[in-house]
Amino acid sequence: MITDFEFRKQIMDFHVGSDLIKYCYQCSRCADNCPVTKVTTDFYGTTGYNPRGNILQALLGYKDMIFSADDLVIWGCTVCDTCDEVCPQNIELTEIFTLLKNMSIEQGRGPEFIYSQAKAIFENAKAIPSQPAIERRREQLGLPAVAAPDVNELQTLLKNIGADKKLK
Amino acid sequence: MTEYKLFEGCTIGNRIPFIEAASRKVFEKVGIETSQAPFTCCPDPTGMKSFDNNSWLAIGARNLCLAEAEGKDILSLCNGCANTLRGVQHQLKHDSLKKQKINEQLAKIGKEFKGTINVKHFVDELKDNLDKVRGAITKPLSGLKVAVHPGCHYMRPAEWMEADDPMRPENLKKIVAESGATVVDYEEMVLCCGSAVTNAYEEHGLANFKIKMDSIKNSGADVICVNCPACFQQFDTRQRDLGKKYETDYDIPVLYLTELLSLAMGVSPDEIGLKFHRTRMKSQLEKLGL
Repeated sequence: MITDFEFRKQIMDFHVGSDLIKYCYQCSRCADNCPVTKVTTDFYGTTGYNPRGNILQALLGYKDMIFSADDLVIWGCTVCDTCDEVCPQNIELTEIFTLLKNMSIEQGRGPEFIYSQAKAIFENAKAIPSQPAIERRREQLGLPAVAAPDVNELQTLLKNIGADKKLK
Repeated sequence: MTEYKLFEGCTIGNRIPFIEAASRKVFEKVGIETSQAPFTCCPDPTGMKSFDNNSWLAIGARNLCLAEAEGKDILSLCNGCANTLRGVQHQLKHDSLKKQKINEQLAKIGKEFKGTINVKHFVDELKDNLDKVRGAITKPLSGLKVAVHPGCHYMRPAEWMEADDPMRPENLKKIVAESGATVVDYEEMVLCCGSAVTNAYEEHGLANFKIKMDSIKNSGADVICVNCPACFQQFDTRQRDLGKKYETDYDIPVLYLTELLSLAMGVSPDEIGLKFHRTRMKSQLEKLGL
């Protein structure tokens, strides 16, 4: 295991509402309450999705352990925010896992559905594009048509940020 | 009463519009006024946010700008949209550097995020108008046993959702109780439906979903009541896959909160397109005499 100091600095400097990650004392309440840990981990916790392990390795700068293993290490998170609520140190775990997922995407990794959704949003400004059959159904139900979003404006925004280059 | 900008979201607007139909009926009966705006995807707090947090912030902030331009608060029909729009607002209001960077991008398309409006989930709006909800009930759903599933993003993270107790939510139960139905408690009420993880790892997602469904089945519930389209789809479309995989018969129909209220307010099942559900609820409707 090699400490990647650049990665460690990114983690340490990262904060949304707080910088409390530094105060993690590895109590494991996050893993004990994680629904995905429950269905993927064996008795000893050596396999499967482990939020406590992710926080520890991120703090130590063990980038290889997080990114070279199975994608499940990062993408097993179902974003239920339960860990955020049970953490006695108020660490925003889900925001840190979001950062790890963003880094995974920068490496061109991650599940297919994330890319297909991002592509749909880039092309249609909606994660689920409008379809004639559904438009007819809306009419039958007496609903007004969905107000059409400005796709060009959204594409300009994403191109300026550079998000279009991350699409597959 | 103030008029809201209705944020129906991609899933309800472009895939399961019958939920929007039921919601509009309930808003009409309760006296909640809404109007449309050309919103884009919120975007998804489990998908786009995981793809790129900056893009998520920028697109979310642009949607907030559209409502700010009219000076109206947003009313969301979806947990995910409410979570994103409140989350974006939270991040930008608590980090001036981040706000400055996003505003530099927004300036190029002639917009500026100010943070002047509020984003409200429709469950909170109904809870704040509980008297009016009660007053609009004409056909109480007596005898119907309901297991409620508030979902994750309606109340978590509590820091910025500020909706309900994050681990012991009560609001959905209170509103369902007004319909005359009986709320049944079950152990796994706050467990995630697993929608996001099922998209990436179906095997693990279904294993989690089994825990949820077994708990609901044990409670003896006739229907499941939800307030999120992602959860709705997980319950409505993946119950059959789950039943096949584990050779168990679940077959518990799912109702959106506004569908359940519509029925209790005397709206016919046909008007709100209940037939478009995958899970069938014929026997439950017969039980209610509908």
